[in-house]
Amino acid sequence: MDPTAYPDSISFGNSNANCSNVTNSHNKVINVNNFIADENPEIMKWLSPLDPGGRHQDVRTDRLDGVGNWLLETNEFQEWRRSEGGAGGPVLFCYGDPGVGKTYLR
Amino acid sequence: MAGNLSSLVIDTLCDEPCEEEIAIAMFYCDFRDKEEQTTINVMGAILKQLLVRGEVLEHVQKAFQKAKKEVGGRGLRLPDMVQMLKQAVATLPKVFICIDALDECLPKHLLELLGSIKDILGESPRMRVFVTGRPQVEAEIIRVFTTCVTIPISPKAHDIKRYLEKKLEMDTEQYAMSDRLRADILRVIPERISEMCVGVSIVPGSYMILY
Repeated sequence: MDPTAYPDSISFGNSNANCSNVTNSHNKVINVNNFIADENPEIMKWLSPLDPGGRHQDVRTDRLDGVGNWLLETNEFQEWRRSEGGAGGPVLFCYGDPGVGKTYLR
Repeated sequence: MAGNLSSLVIDTLCDEPCEEEIAIAMFYCDFRDKEEQTTINVMGAILKQLLVRGEVLEHVQKAFQKAKKEVGGRGLRLPDMVQMLKQAVATLPKVFICIDALDECLPKHLLELLGSIKDILGESPRMRVFVTGRPQVEAEIIRVFTTCVTIPISPKAHDIKRYLEKKLEMDTEQYAMSDRLRADILRVIPERISEMCVGVSIVPGSYMILY
């Protein structure tokens, strides 16, 4: 299916526009900060011309609170989140048609 | 949904208190960048986000310096990239990788990307991978990740109602709205969507046809 047929359902834009990553102040998430990226521009370019992160900020800004929380409550997600090399496997795949999800959550 | 779900999962991973340190890398595929979204470029974008510890950064810096000295350029090959990612993941405590909208990759890149992730997972039992996409990529994903857990995303009445409420709040033509119409919209659309379930496209603004 041609994704361009759903221009309103997908607002990707320059989706990976910068290197500002997820940051968090109250738990143990470790992620790259802009300092590392700024100090090593040649290496960043060498690794990939695609820059992750900006899209995340765009989407989370538009996200409606409470929408999609059902996923987080599923056993599948909880097991994936907690397990380590368990029976559930390391990969969780969520799939849906255009129109059943992407659009109405935008 | 996919983008929203991915961002929700990423934020949840970030916000949930946990005993252990975790590192998160994400990538949102975009069909408009499909030519540039080669496996090596996507993996490189992920690796950039994992340069969070001195030893990881140092290793990549060394590889970069070595590549610079090589005759004929400094282009990376996919095996080199995969190897650097394996080393990065091995150095870090627990790594979550989220890749959104895999169907927006070109098919020739998708299988290679999945294969590379599988390769890394084989040596990284603590790594977790969250991926989203349209159903047409399900077969490929299950073929590569045989133990993959799948969750179908279908419209949830609560989510649809929440979305409609927000859209109605933001409607710039409030004069055309009445309490009765608003109530009808919030009642009928979630019912119909739930009944039809798959194959329905609710385009933002489509409720305007009710006016």
